[in-house]
Amino acid sequence: MKISRRTLIKGGVMAGAGALLGSEGTRLMAAINQSEQDDPAHAAYALCQPENILYSACLQCNTQCTVKAKIQNGLLVKIDGNPYSPMNMQPQVSYDLSPQAVAKVDGHLCPKGQSGVQTIYDPYRIRMVLKRSGPRGSSKWKAIPFDQAIKEIAEGGKLFAEIGEDRQVPGFKEVFALRDADLAKTMGDDAAAIRGGKMTVDEFKEKHKDHLDVLIDPNHPDLGPKNNQFIFQGGRIGPDREMFAKRFTFAGLGSVNWYAHTTICEQAHHVAFLWSTAQWEVKDGKGGWNKGANHMKPDYTQAEFVIFWGTGYTEANFGPTPMGPQVSQAIVDGKLKIAVVDPRLSKTAAKGWWIPVRPGGDLALAFGMLRWTIENKRYDEAFLRNANKGAAKAGGEKSWSNSTWLVNAENGKLLRAKDLGIGDENQFVVLVAGQPVPVTPDDEKSAVVGDLDAGTSLGGLKVKTGFQALKESVFVHDMAYYAEKSGVDQKSIEDLAREFTAHGKKAAIDFYRGPIKVTYGYYAAQAIIALNLLIGNIDHTGGFAPGGGAWDAMGGKPGKPFEIGKMHPGALKPFGVKLTRESSGPYESSTIFTRDGYPAKRPWFPFTDDVYQEIIPAAYAGYPYPIKILWLHYGTPALSSPAGHLQIKMLQDTSRLPLFISTDIVLGETSMFADYVFPDIAYLERWGNPLGTSPVTLTKTTKIRQPVVAPIPEIVSVEGEEMPISMDAVMIAVAQKIKAPGYGKDGLGAGYDFKRPEQFYLKMVANVAWGEKEGEAVAAASAQDMALFVKARRHLPKGVFDLAKWQAAVGNEWSRVVTVLNHGGRFEAADKAHDGAFLGHPWGKQMNLYVEPIGSAKHSVTGKPLSGVPVFQEMASFDGKPALFPAEYDLDLFTYKEIWGGQSRTSGNYAGQMALMPENYVYLNALDARRLGLADYDLVRLVSPSFTGAFELAPGVSIAVEGKVKVIQGIRPGAVAVSWSYGHWAYGAKDVTVNGQVIKGEAARARGLVPNPAMGVDGYLKDVCLTDPIAGDAAYSGTRIKLVKSKSGAAERGALPKSA
Amino acid sequence: MNKDRPDRTPESEERRAVLGKMASATFAGLMLSGVLARAQDAAPQKTPIPARPFKGSSDANQDVLIRMQGELERAMQKPINERRWGMVIDMRKCTGCASCTVGCVMENKLPPGVVYRPVIDEEKGTYPNVTRTFLPRPCMQCETPACTPVCPVGATWKGADGIVVIDYDVCIGCRYCITACPYQARTFDFGQHWTDNAAKGEDGALALKSARAYQDPPNFEYGKEWKRREGIIPKSPVGNTRKCTFCAHRLKVGMLPMCVSTCVGRATFFGDLNDPKALVSELAGMANATQLKPEAGTHPNVYYLV
Amino acid sequence: MKQYAKIIWALWIILALVGGYGLIERLVTGHQLATYSSYVPWGMWVAAYIFFVGLSSGSFLLASLYYVFKITRLERIARLSLFTAGVTIIMALVTVGLDLGRMEKAVSVFYRPHFTSLITWEVWLYTAYLILVIMALKYAVRKKLKKLDPQVTKDDDQRLKRLMTYGIPLVIAFTGAGGALFGTISARAAWHTSLYPVIFIVGALLSGVALMTFMAWAFCDNHDESWHELLQFLGKLVLGLICIELILEWAEFSIPLWYGVGSEAELVKFVLFGPFWYVFWLVRILLGAVLPLYLLMGKKDAKSIGIASFLVAVTYFAVRLNLVIPAQVTPELRGLEHAYLDPIGNHLSFHYLPSFFEWQVLMGVVALGMALFYFGQRYLSLMQTLNNREVSR
Ligand SMILES: Nc1nc2c(c(=O)[nH]1)N[C@H]1C(S)=C(S)[C@@H](COP(=O)(O)OP(=O)(O)OC[C@H]3O[C@@H](n4cnc5c(=O)[nH]c(N)nc54)[C@H](O)[C@@H]3O)O[C@H]1N2
Ligand SMILES: Nc1nc2c(c(=O)[nH]1)N[C@H]1C(S)=C(S)[C@@H](COP(=O)(O)OP(=O)(O)OC[C@H]3O[C@@H](n4cnc5c(=O)[nH]c(N)nc54)[C@H](O)[C@@H]3O)O[C@H]1N2
Ligand code: SF4
Ligand code: SF4
Ligand code: SF4
Ligand code: SF4
Ligand code: SF4
Ligand SMILES: [Mo]
Repeated sequence: MKISRRTLIKGGVMAGAGALLGSEGTRLMAAINQSEQDDPAHAAYALCQPENILYSACLQCNTQCTVKAKIQNGLLVKIDGNPYSPMNMQPQVSYDLSPQAVAKVDGHLCPKGQSGVQTIYDPYRIRMVLKRSGPRGSSKWKAIPFDQAIKEIAEGGKLFAEIGEDRQVPGFKEVFALRDADLAKTMGDDAAAIRGGKMTVDEFKEKHKDHLDVLIDPNHPDLGPKNNQFIFQGGRIGPDREMFAKRFTFAGLGSVNWYAHTTICEQAHHVAFLWSTAQWEVKDGKGGWNKGANHMKPDYTQAEFVIFWGTGYTEANFGPTPMGPQVSQAIVDGKLKIAVVDPRLSKTAAKGWWIPVRPGGDLALAFGMLRWTIENKRYDEAFLRNANKGAAKAGGEKSWSNSTWLVNAENGKLLRAKDLGIGDENQFVVLVAGQPVPVTPDDEKSAVVGDLDAGTSLGGLKVKTGFQALKESVFVHDMAYYAEKSGVDQKSIEDLAREFTAHGKKAAIDFYRGPIKVTYGYYAAQAIIALNLLIGNIDHTGGFAPGGGAWDAMGGKPGKPFEIGKMHPGALKPFGVKLTRESSGPYESSTIFTRDGYPAKRPWFPFTDDVYQEIIPAAYAGYPYPIKILWLHYGTPALSSPAGHLQIKMLQDTSRLPLFISTDIVLGETSMFADYVFPDIAYLERWGNPLGTSPVTLTKTTKIRQPVVAPIPEIVSVEGEEMPISMDAVMIAVAQKIKAPGYGKDGLGAGYDFKRPEQFYLKMVANVAWGEKEGEAVAAASAQDMALFVKARRHLPKGVFDLAKWQAAVGNEWSRVVTVLNHGGRFEAADKAHDGAFLGHPWGKQMNLYVEPIGSAKHSVTGKPLSGVPVFQEMASFDGKPALFPAEYDLDLFTYKEIWGGQSRTSGNYAGQMALMPENYVYLNALDARRLGLADYDLVRLVSPSFTGAFELAPGVSIAVEGKVKVIQGIRPGAVAVSWSYGHWAYGAKDVTVNGQVIKGEAARARGLVPNPAMGVDGYLKDVCLTDPIAGDAAYSGTRIKLVKSKSGAAERGALPKSA
Repeated sequence: MNKDRPDRTPESEERRAVLGKMASATFAGLMLSGVLARAQDAAPQKTPIPARPFKGSSDANQDVLIRMQGELERAMQKPINERRWGMVIDMRKCTGCASCTVGCVMENKLPPGVVYRPVIDEEKGTYPNVTRTFLPRPCMQCETPACTPVCPVGATWKGADGIVVIDYDVCIGCRYCITACPYQARTFDFGQHWTDNAAKGEDGALALKSARAYQDPPNFEYGKEWKRREGIIPKSPVGNTRKCTFCAHRLKVGMLPMCVSTCVGRATFFGDLNDPKALVSELAGMANATQLKPEAGTHPNVYYLV
Repeated sequence: MKQYAKIIWALWIILALVGGYGLIERLVTGHQLATYSSYVPWGMWVAAYIFFVGLSSGSFLLASLYYVFKITRLERIARLSLFTAGVTIIMALVTVGLDLGRMEKAVSVFYRPHFTSLITWEVWLYTAYLILVIMALKYAVRKKLKKLDPQVTKDDDQRLKRLMTYGIPLVIAFTGAGGALFGTISARAAWHTSLYPVIFIVGALLSGVALMTFMAWAFCDNHDESWHELLQFLGKLVLGLICIELILEWAEFSIPLWYGVGSEAELVKFVLFGPFWYVFWLVRILLGAVLPLYLLMGKKDAKSIGIASFLVAVTYFAVRLNLVIPAQVTPELRGLEHAYLDPIGNHLSFHYLPSFFEWQVLMGVVALGMALFYFGQRYLSLMQTLNNREVSR
C-alpha cells in the first residue's frame, strides 16, 4: 500500500485522538474522512505535524514557561504551551504519551510568550561583533571578525588607537593574574584567616611575598587577586545560563565578581525568605546558618483565602501562564476568595477585594495586621510553640519555627544552651513553663514545646522569645498610626486581618515586588512572611508551599552520570571581597574597616547578593578597588535601575572602566556604551540550564531550554568548532585563548572536551534524565522517537545540531536524554501535588520568626544594630537620614508591569506589546487630575527632588521622561503609576552607524516613558538609587514626585502618528 | 488557633447578595455600553463571583481543554450540517490577558491592522468602588449574520457548521460587510507587515533581512495555504476583509481554536452546540449565560457567562 | 469662459500631476497610505463616490426636464447636463473602484451577483444607467456633429425622449438605493434611517442642479436674455431644493437630538460639536446654505446665482462626508478603540482625517473628469449649445 502524506496526517489525528478519547478514538478515521469531504481543498496544516514541533522554554519573562515551538519552512512561526508540562496544562498529559500522540494538543501560553517569535526575529538583532568606532555611546560601530575581537579582548593593547585613543586597554590576560589553583586556595584560606582575626596582613605578605603581584592591593589581601578586576554583570542570567557563566567567572577566571540583577528585581523578598527558612546545620561539630528556600507561594488550588500583596496572578509575578488557570478556576468554583493589596486596581484586583494601599505603606499595613492578629490572639499558637522537629511531628505538623527560642536582647543573638550551661553550642533555649530547656532543632525524638509570649531574665541576661520580640516591635505604634502610614483605614486593616485569620491553615499571602521595593523592603518581606507563619499555614494543603522542586542537574547525588561541579580540572577557587561588598562577610572584619571605620564609604551587604544597581557606581568610585574589565550581559542597568541614568556618565569614563564589553541581541540602552558588543543567541536559539520552576507549581518540574531555531548571529569557528556567536562562544573562545582551566580538550575531565556549549548543557540534561536515584531514570527513546528527534531538527545548521557531537557529549545516556528533550523537560505526575492534608512536597523544616544573623549584625554605614524581627521604618538613605520630599512633590510614584511587557526586552514585539499598547501612560486618579488641572493625553514630565524631568544621553541629546496622562478611577488618589517596558532610547529606537552606514531606528520603539530616572537617589552616596541596606534592594516605590505639564498633547488625542 | 471561630458572618452573606446583583448589572451595563448601575453601599469585601460550580469545570483528572478536544473530535464524526459550533466566554474567569488576541494573530499570521479577537478592558465605578471587566470579542458567528447579506459578490456566507466564512478568492474588498457587523468583528487587510517601519536593507551587522522572513510562510486559514504578496495585483488575503474563522483549519484536524487552547484564564470554551453533552452546550444553557447586543438581532453563537 | 482657460489649464496640470502620482501610488501600495481603517472602513473616497453619483443623477434629472418634460427654458443646458451626468457617473465609478481592495475582481459583481446586497443593485443599475446615458448622448449629440437625415434626427429625438423617460425611474432607483445602501445598515445607528433614500434623491437634485447652474453661469459667454431667464429659473430651483433639503436635514438631526439621549444623539452631537464641528457649521451651513440662501434671495443677479450654486455644489461634498464618516467614528463596543491597535499603519483607529494620498487620488479623479469635459466640449460641441450658437435644425 502506498502511504500518502495525507494518510500520515490522518494517522496523526488518530494517534492524538486515541490518546484523548480512548476507545472512541477508533471511530475517528471516519470522522476525518468526513471532514475532508467537507472541503476538498483540505491542505496540510503543517503546525500540527510532530516533525515541525520542538519543545523548549520561554524567556520573555522570568517565569520561563515550557513552550511548544512550531516550525514552518524552517522558521519559527508559532509558540504554544507544552502539554506535558503543568505550567501549560492542568493537569498535564501523561509523560508516557509519545510526542506524535500529543502533537495536536496545545497548552496555553501568555501573550508575551506567543510574541516571542518577534523577539527572535527582530530586524535590529545583531549578527556580527561590533567594535565602537567613535567615543562610547556615539553609536558608531565597525563590524569586525569574531577572531579579531577575541584576540583583542584577550590580549588588550592600544585597541582604539585608530580613533585616537592612546590608552593601553587591559585584556583578559591581564586580569587573569592568579592562575595556580593551589596558590589560589592557600591565599584564599589566608585571606579568610585575616578576616577571622587569625592572621595579620603582615604575616600574609610575608608568607606570600613571591606572589603579591597577583593581588589587587597587597595591603588588603582580603580584597583578593587581580582576577577580581574582571566583573561579569549579568542581567537575566540566572537561572538560565547561570552555571555556564559562573563556571567561566569563578573556577575559570578566578574572579568573585559574578552578578545577576536580583536587587533591581525582588531581592528583599528572596533574602527574607532565604533567612526565614535558614537551617542551623552542624558539620564536624561546627554549626552555622544555611540559607533555605528563596520563596514560597500559596496553594491557590485549595486555599480559601489568598492575599495578593503587591503582586497578582494575571500580570507579572511567577507568571499568568502557570497561575492563570489555577486561580481563575478556584475563584469561579467559589473555593477561593482573594484580596489584593496594590495602589492600583490591577487586573487581579479586579477579581477580588481591592485594598488600595499607599505606595510604600505596606510595612505599616503588615504591622497593623500583625498587631491586630497578636492582640486578638488569632494566631496558631500550637504551631508556633513547636520548637523543633520532634514537636512538629507530635503536633501533626511538618515544619516548626524558632518563635519560642530565646533571644539575648543585648546582642540580638539567640541564646545557646551552652550559655546557660544546659547543653552545647549547637542547641538553643526555650522556656517551658518558665524554665529554660535546650532545643536541638532537627531532633525528631524529643518534642520541645516552648512558651510563646515570654521573656525573662536568666542569669542576669535579659532574654525574650522571638515572638515577644516581634510583638514588642509591632506594638511600638498603635493601629491608628499604621492606618495613617499605610493609607488603609483601621477598619479595613482589621477586616483584612480578620479574614486572613478566619480560614485556619487554608489561607496564605502571596507577595512579590510591590511591598518590598523600598529601603525597608527586607523588613516588609519579613513581616509578611511572619503573617503567614502566625497562621501556621506552611506545608498544608491550601496553605503555604515551597513548591514541587526540580530534578538535580548538577549531579551532586551519588550514582549520577555527571558530577559537573567537579568536572573542572585546575579549577580556581576565587576569593576576596566582591565589588559591591555583598556576601563578603561583615564590614567590621575587613581590612577596609581597619582603614576607614564607620561610616563605610559605601555600604557593605553581608546578607545579600546581586546588588546590581551598585556595580557600575562602585566601579566608578573605585571602592573597594578599581576594576579593569566589565562584561555586561543581558541587562540594561542604565534603563532598568532606579536612577540608572546616572550610570551613563560613568560608563563613558574609560579610565575607571578601561574595557567594557557586552553580549546582547540588539544594541541596548546600556550595551550601546560598550567598546565591543558581541551578538548573542536569543532564548530559543540556545541552551539553558535545566530549570526548576517557582512554587506556583506544586509538582516536581524540570524544564529544558534547547535550540529550536537556526541562530540569527553569524556562525563562526571557535578553535575549529562551528557555532553561532554568543555568550557561550565568547566564553569558550576567551577561556581557550588565555588557557583558563576547564576548557578545550579534556576541559570537562579526561575524555570530555569542553569546546562546544552542548558538551556542558547536555550533561545536565543527562543528570535530569537519570533522576535522583538509581531506577528513577526516564524511559529510553524508541527508534521512532529517535527518528522524530532528528527529523524535527532538520532546519538547524550543523554548527548547532550535529547528531554525532550531541550524542558524544553524553555517551550512554543519549537515548534517555532524547526522551527528556522530546518532552521539553521532565515532569512529575500531577497527582503528586497533594498528600491528603499536606502538600506533596512540603518544606518539612524550620522556619525562623527571628533571624539571628541579621539580628546580631550592624549597619555598615551607621554602625547601628540591625534587627532579627521586622521593625517599623520609613524611607531613608544609607546614613540613616530620612528621605525627605518637599511639599510640592505631592504624588507617590510607583511602577508595575503590564502582562505584555517582558522587562525592557519586548519593545520589538509588534503584535504583542506594541499593538496591545503602543505607549504607556502616566496614570492618575480623577481627583488628582482635577486638582492639578490635568486631562487625558496631556503631556507631563516626571520631576522629583533628584530629577529635573530630562537627562543627557550624549552631548546635546536629551531624553525627556515625559508621558501622556490617563485619568482613571482605579488608582489610589495621591499616587501615580507608570508601567515598565517603554521609553527606550536604544533597542532599535535610535539610528546607529555601522561601517559608515546609517541604520535608521524605528520611532515606535521609543514611545512612552520609563519612570526610573525620577526615582529617588541615596542621600549619602548620591550616585545610586535609594537602597535597602540589608537586602541591597533598589527602591522603586517611596519617591514623591510632581508632574509638570510640558505641552498639550491633546491634538493627538491618543491617535498614532501615521508613520510611527 | 481558635478553631470554632465563625468565618461567615451574616453581613458577608448580605454583601454577597449585593455583589451578586452587581455582577449581573455589570454585564447589562456593558451590553448597553452604558454606565454601571452600581450598588450604593458597595462593601469593602468584593468577591463578585458567586459559587456556581458546573460539571466538568474543575475535574481534577483532566484539563478542560482535553475534554473539549475529545468532544470536538466526536463532533467531527458527524456530517457537517449536524454540527453547530459555539463558544462560551466566562467573563468571571477572563483575566484580560489578551493571550487569545495575540495567539490568534500569530496563529493566523494576521498583519497589522487585522485583528479577530481584541479584548476590551473597561473600568467602571468611582474610587474606591471600582472594577474592571474584560470582554474578549471574537466573531459571534451569528445565526442571522448582518454581514453576509450585504456582500455584493456572495464572498461571505454562513457555513453549514455555523461558521461565517469569507472566500478570499472572491471578496472584492468593498468593506460593506465591515460596516454591517454590529460587533466590528471584521477588519481589512491593508497588506502591511509588522516590520514595515523597521530599518530596511540586506543582512550585515544587523539581521535587517533575515529577521523579517518569518512573515512569509503562508497561513492556513480555512485549511488552505494563503501566501501574501502585495503590489499592483495583490494576492489574497491582501485587499480582503478578514474575520475570525473559529480556526476552521484547526477544527479540521481535530484541534481546538487557538484562542481556546491558549486561554490563560481557561475562560473560553468551545464545542458543538448541537451536542447536549458537550461542555459548551451545558455552559451556554446556564442562567448567567448572555449574548452580546441581543438587540442587534443577530443571534450570536458566542455566549458570555457573567 | 475663455478668460479662465489658462487658469483652468494650469489647475488641470497640477491636478493631473499630483493626482496621477496618487493613482500610481494607489496601484503600487494598495490602501496602505490611506487613513481609513478597519474601523472606519469607508473614507473620503466613498463620500466622493456618492457625491459624484448625486451630481450625476441631479444633472440627469435636470436634463430630463427638457428632454422629457420639454421645459424649453432648459434647452441650453440640457445637453451639457446629460454629458455631465455621464462624466460624473464615470468619476463615481472610478472612485469607488479605486476604493475596492481588489479592483481587478470588481467584474465578479456581474458574473456572481448577490442580489441581497444593495451594492450589487447599485452596480447593475449604474451600469444600465451608464449605457443609457451614453446612448442618450449619442442621440443628443450626433445631430450636431454630422448632417443627418431629418427622419433620423426625428427618430433620434424620440429615442432620446424614450431613453430619458426610462432614465428617470432608473435614476430615482439608484439614487434612492444609494440612500438605502447606508440606511439598511442597522449596525450603524446614524445611517439606519428610512429618510435616507429621500434625502439622497433631494440631495442629488440639489447638488446636480446647483452644479449645472454654476456651469451655466461660468461657461457661457453669451449672456443674452434667455440665458438670464435660464439662470433665474435654475436659481429658483436651487433655492427650493435647499429649503427642502434643510427641512429633511432638520428632521434627521432634530429627532435624535431632541431628548439628547442614545447613541444616535451622540453621533449627531459629534457632527455638530465634535472635533470637526466646522465641517458642519462653516462648510455645510454657512457656505452651503446660509450664504447661498442670502445670495439667491437677495440680488438674484446672474453672478449671485452662479456663486451660490457653486457653493452649494461644492459644499455638498461636506454633506456627503458628514454622512459617511461620523457614523463610523464611535466604536460599536465601548473600549474597542484601545483594545488592539495597528502600530505600523494606524489602520485600527477610529480617528479619521483623509490623508494627503486620499486627496491626491481624488484630485486624479477630478483631473480625469476635467479631461472628459475637455474632450466633451472639444468634440461634442457641448458649449455651443450652452452659448446658444446652435443653429436649430
Ligand atoms: N508580564 C510580566 N511578567 C513578569 C515579568 C515581566 O517583565 N513582565 N518579569 C518577571 C520578573 S523578573 C519578576 S521580578 C516578577 C515581578 O512580579 P510582580 O512583583 O508581581 O510585578 P510588578 O509589576 O513589578 O509589581 C507587582 C505589583 O506591585 C504593585 N505595587 C507597586 N508599588 C507598590 C507598593 O508600594 N505597594 C504595593 N502593595 N504594591 C505596589 C504594582 O502596582 C504591581 O501591580 O514578574 C515576572 N513576571
Ligand atoms: N520601572 C520599572 N523598572 C523595572 C521593573 C519594573 O517593574 N518597573 N522591573 C525590574 C525587574 S523585576 C527586573 S528583573 C529588571 C530587569 O532588568 P535588566 O536585567 O537590566 O534587563 P532586561 O530588561 O531583562 O534585559 C535587558 C537587556 O538585555 C538584552 N537582551 C535581551 N535578550 C537578550 C538575550 O537573549 N541575550 C543577551 N545577551 N541579551 C539580551 C537587551 O538589550 C535588553 O534590553 O528590571 C527592573 N526594572
Ligand atoms: S509567563 Fe509568559 S512570558 Fe513569562 S515565561 Fe511564561 S509564557 Fe513566557
Ligand atoms: S459577528 Fe459580525 S462578522 Fe461575525 S457573523 Fe456576526 S455579523 Fe458577521
Ligand atoms: S469586503 Fe468582501 S466579503 Fe465583505 S462585502 Fe465586500 S466583497 Fe463581500
Ligand atoms: S477562533 Fe481562531 S480565528 Fe477566531 S478568534 Fe479564536 S483564534 Fe482567532
Ligand atoms: S486568553 Fe482567556 S483570560 Fe486571557 S483575555 Fe483571552 S479570554 Fe481572557
Ligand atoms: Mo525581576
